[in-house]
Amino acid sequence: MIALDEWQERARAWLAQAVPEFGLAARAGLTQDEDLEVGRRYMAAKYDVGFSGITLPPEFGGQGLSRLHKVLFDTLEMQVAMPVGYFGVSTAMPLPILIRYCEDKAWVRERVIAALRGEEIWCQLFSEPAAGSDLAGLRTRAEGGEQGWTVNGQKLWTTFAQYSDYGILVARSDPSVPKHKGLTFFWIDMKAPGVTVRPFRLANGDIQCNEVFFDDVAMADSQRLGPVGEGFSVAIATLMIERYAASDADGFGPPIEAFIETLRPLTINGRPALEDGRVRGVIARNHALRQGLDSIRRRALLAMEAGMEPGPEGSLNKLFSVRSRQKLSELALDLQGAGGLSYAEGAYTKADWATSWMGAPTMRLAGGADEMLLNTIAEKILGLPQDYRPDKGVPFNAIPV
Amino acid sequence: MSILHDETQQEIAAETARVLGARRDKARLLEVLDRCGEWDEGFWRTAVEQGWTGLAVPEDFDGLGLGLTELGLVAQEAGRVISGAPFLTYGHGAVCALLACGDEALQDAWLPRLAQGEVRAAIAFAEGTDPIPLCPQVEYRDGGLHGEKAGVAGALAADIAVVSASRDGTPVLVLADLNAAVSGQLERTAIHSIDNGRLFANLGFHGLPATVLAEGDAARDLALEMQAQMAVLAAHEQTGGAEALMLAARDYAVERKAFGQPIGAFQSVKHRIAELYGLVEIARANCIHAASLQGQAGFLEAAACARLSATEAYDTAARDAVQIHGGTGVTWEGALHLHTRRARSLAIELGNGLFWEDVLVTGLTGVAA
Repeated sequence: MIALDEWQERARAWLAQAVPEFGLAARAGLTQDEDLEVGRRYMAAKYDVGFSGITLPPEFGGQGLSRLHKVLFDTLEMQVAMPVGYFGVSTAMPLPILIRYCEDKAWVRERVIAALRGEEIWCQLFSEPAAGSDLAGLRTRAEGGEQGWTVNGQKLWTTFAQYSDYGILVARSDPSVPKHKGLTFFWIDMKAPGVTVRPFRLANGDIQCNEVFFDDVAMADSQRLGPVGEGFSVAIATLMIERYAASDADGFGPPIEAFIETLRPLTINGRPALEDGRVRGVIARNHALRQGLDSIRRRALLAMEAGMEPGPEGSLNKLFSVRSRQKLSELALDLQGAGGLSYAEGAYTKADWATSWMGAPTMRLAGGADEMLLNTIAEKILGLPQDYRPDKGVPFNAIPV
Repeated sequence: MSILHDETQQEIAAETARVLGARRDKARLLEVLDRCGEWDEGFWRTAVEQGWTGLAVPEDFDGLGLGLTELGLVAQEAGRVISGAPFLTYGHGAVCALLACGDEALQDAWLPRLAQGEVRAAIAFAEGTDPIPLCPQVEYRDGGLHGEKAGVAGALAADIAVVSASRDGTPVLVLADLNAAVSGQLERTAIHSIDNGRLFANLGFHGLPATVLAEGDAARDLALEMQAQMAVLAAHEQTGGAEALMLAARDYAVERKAFGQPIGAFQSVKHRIAELYGLVEIARANCIHAASLQGQAGFLEAAACARLSATEAYDTAARDAVQIHGGTGVTWEGALHLHTRRARSLAIELGNGLFWEDVLVTGLTGVAA
């Protein structure tokens, strides 16, 4: 294996040469469908040079490298804004789960390579209209057994389901036991009869989320991933895969330097905005917060490099950085006066205040709402008691609706 | 210096925690609060015995030749148990000043004694609401100091002081031997304060002899560099204190029951504690980062970040931990007010939040306030 810094330099160099073809400027003005096609070409190019599936085993088409390699590459890739959003869920969670639980290894290898090359896309069918933070309360039913299964119900918030070929699905296989114990995990063909996908627009204008309906969709028992009734632990294992994802102390919004440059030409009461004490306080507080989060991230990387387990404080990033992004974006818009009113839907959130601001509420909910993150910190790190849960230990079908 | 602590550094932190944990004396700390002029001398004896006074002094001057990272770890543990007579931080300030002045006779005279803990130092920069005045009112003329510095931490038991002053309108930093004062050259007026263990006093100078360490722009730069290094140590202390409060709140919330369950099961309580955890870890990360940049580019901004986030963490923890403790939190015997008081004294001592916001933003933007 080559040295980490040499590998990182190679990645940096390859990404730099890819920018003219795949970067933000090259994609300006494209529709989402056109952008997706550029994304697919980028994924294929990345696969061909060996920067795809970094942590996946080589026998499945991956690179067999460490999670540190992956975090480093993802961070570099984020900095140059490559069109990878469509493949984020697809290549992160489903592939390791398939490798681990699916018995037809040759078929898995085909799927992994096709997903890494951007030829196929996978979605994650977890959340439902009545089950978001409380995932185990989901209602989509899977009935059957060894002879095959039938799925009925509805998923919601399914990212990029409109482009997906396959999905991983958690469904209720036994409503007569407590909610965590009656779930089973499957993969599903999104083109199968009875699957209906309806994209809907988010408040910021994005069309990424979908409702997915299942009407008597048939699945073979070989599509089951993990034992019957163990779906919740497979789902948790899925969510744990992304624990060391690339994090961004700016909450995927513009950095403090951008705030300073936005304000540099502005005035308040006839004086430069950057001389205003209120503005200076905001700059200082947000910079100190983000500097702290960034130090936590860098320390975690060093720990991983030294073969140690990073500390639990890495889990603070999303909670603190996105709140900072939201408030800083608000202020950046306010301070520009009428200049803060224009909105270029779909602009890059790290470079545009309005887009950053409109997208921030989604970020505070997706991948763990603030309140759930605080619960996790309190319970898993600090050992505080769980919330009172009236449905605990009660058979699912006996929980009052 | 790496931001990932090595084994030696981890050992320093663990050993300091062990030593301080064993000698923790809450009754004595409470007693000191009522007595202007008394302080936690036991902590100082421990600091001298353990060699903490010499940790960041070069080996040539009988120190251990380590730096802010190691001294910061000691300060963090001291902050956790509300120890830390002011002299660890201010002794380090004096060491910085002496190392920067380049006067070998002065260095030989004072650095080994600071390293051995034989002398205690105070730092007197602030005047009025200005943590580092550009043109101090205190004057230096004919080899002596004239004027007053108010609210100097440690001043009641310090042997030497580094003082900022003006000589013919030019700023100077001078070193004064407080014990050499004769016939009214020095007045120490004790302040009965919110945190008496910090030994606050107003220092009145009436011709106290002093030696110049730096002058002009060099004096200003050195004062800011010293302030930043001391602020990083104070930030470690604040972080230790904030963490202790956060954990006390956690323990209480697990133990105390109301409405049929531990109060820590209510989100209004557990989320408050989780937020504190976040503030503590962000402050800690900034402290580690700042200490690792000692002597390098970007140190001043990193120090400001450490100071701002540690002050926020300690103040927030002081408010919220008391709130979570309910009535127990506001009793004398419950002793949480030891932290509440220390959070305030440490926040005031080395420049308040506005001062550090301006240091940071001027550094980031190039625009002064």
